[in-house]
Amino acid sequence: MSTAVYVPSRIKSRIRMLLPWLLLVVLAVLPIAGLTPNLIRLFFITFVWVTTSLGWNLLGGFTGQVSFGFAVFYGLGAYTAALMIDRGVNPYLSFLAAGLVPGLASFLIGLPTFRLRGPYFAIATIGVSEATRVIMNNLEITGGASGYRIMEHVPFRQVEHYYTALGMAALAVAASLLIVHSKFGMALRAIKQDEEAAADLGVNPYANKLAIHAVAAIFTGVAGGVFARYAAFINPQGVFAFQTSVYILLMPVIGGIGTVWGAVLGGVVFGMVEEQLVANFPQIHLLLYGALLILIILVEPDGIAGLLGKIFRRLRIPGRKDDGADSGSRKADEVLRRTAGG
Amino acid sequence: MPEQHIYGFIGPNGAGKTTLFSMIAGALQPSAGRIRSHGKDVTGKRPFSLVRAGIARTHQVVRPFRAMTVLENVQLAVHFGRKNITNTAAARDHARQVLAWVGLDRVADTLAANISLGDQKRLEVARALATDPELLLCDEICGGLTRNETRSMLDLLQRIRQQGATIMYVEHDVKAIMAVCDHVMVLNYGEKLAEGKPEEIQNDPAVIEAYLGKAGSKKRGRSVA
Repeated sequence: MSTAVYVPSRIKSRIRMLLPWLLLVVLAVLPIAGLTPNLIRLFFITFVWVTTSLGWNLLGGFTGQVSFGFAVFYGLGAYTAALMIDRGVNPYLSFLAAGLVPGLASFLIGLPTFRLRGPYFAIATIGVSEATRVIMNNLEITGGASGYRIMEHVPFRQVEHYYTALGMAALAVAASLLIVHSKFGMALRAIKQDEEAAADLGVNPYANKLAIHAVAAIFTGVAGGVFARYAAFINPQGVFAFQTSVYILLMPVIGGIGTVWGAVLGGVVFGMVEEQLVANFPQIHLLLYGALLILIILVEPDGIAGLLGKIFRRLRIPGRKDDGADSGSRKADEVLRRTAGG
Repeated sequence: MPEQHIYGFIGPNGAGKTTLFSMIAGALQPSAGRIRSHGKDVTGKRPFSLVRAGIARTHQVVRPFRAMTVLENVQLAVHFGRKNITNTAAARDHARQVLAWVGLDRVADTLAANISLGDQKRLEVARALATDPELLLCDEICGGLTRNETRSMLDLLQRIRQQGATIMYVEHDVKAIMAVCDHVMVLNYGEKLAEGKPEEIQNDPAVIEAYLGKAGSKKRGRSVA
């Protein structure tokens, strides 16, 4: 290593392990430090998106199963929480149910669709998602297309929502890291690379895909529920929209597919800029996402995390040539894995 | 089939060697006949459950998980093989032992994409071995290797047998088969042509005919021994 300042690697890794906790503390103190309501709202939305991004990333990033149907989980979570909170159930109990219902639904969707591979799986998830939206548009008890209003008979406290969402996002990060560094996570990475080879070493690809699909659905569903309570009004054109599915997919792709912190980064960037884009370019904001997606795929398939990984490497080892066999994704993964302390 | 033997399979291209392996390992379903292991019928079982039943295979064309290190490749097999270890540290330790045993410890922390073909072939064997199989199916593990690499691979096979596993071994290189196998079966067009000890096979007229043509013409240039 040619770094000017010598830092023993153990201390370095200690610092890396501490970073996420430090971040958590800072975020926990922010509202007390006097964050404006508008910023609290922005952070809240960001935490919700980070959670869905982490959920999608488990299935799409780590396991390589690209789904366009996560709006189903988000919407089911939102409606489950909405119906329960409206009937006076404890909101946190409702959030649990908001995870459970999409978790169960994920099996209904996964059992047939995981028989398909690659693009066929992706197309099937679009079908399921659209069908669900149409059904919800016509379902009487949820108000159909006109949406559902949640009446909660307690005063609205924005800070409570902030902490709920922060806790949820932190749990999603922790769960993702645990999964990624476990036996289960290893099977997922193997499935992404070569399903048959994984099966020849004792991994059951179908069962593992179903399992991670359920975990991803729970993340996304809880996020939907937490959002619904805050928004107090949801409708199928919002939470069940194809657009929602695309947003959820876009975030980990922006941030860096297949890495936990990449997914977090994607959620943060998306959460922070999305509103600005919608406000400033109402007609063409979707077009911008499309252009961004193409740009990322062409220029930096490993997203912001991949880009940062490359930059860090350049800074750390000046003059060393990039060797072609080593892809940016792996570098990013290595960098991020080290940051994660795993 | 007797245990703790190396069972060799040879035959011309398209004789059905790899197909036979794929059927035993569960990748293909046999259209007729049954496959039994220790008297238990395992026909039509999925590959992952066969691994847990003690049957593991290597691939003729190597299929390493390229974005994983060599160690991680083997660790996966330790996790999901017959030992079924959940603890990652324990699995990693065991994987290191396997790598040292097969002689891949020097590249343990290299990405599987970046090691030589010879090492990737060896990794195929190491992974299959790490599942702790009773029956190891080795499909062309010496294909494309140098003479030295081939020799050390054959050494490895014999050491695996000494550890108590039974090996089914398919190879194009007849010399390699004859050198290590206790028993050889010759396949042609999906049928058994001959079977016996290596020395018997080499002199079998039906085998010579399949390999060299009817007249035993020397122009074909490929000798059976």
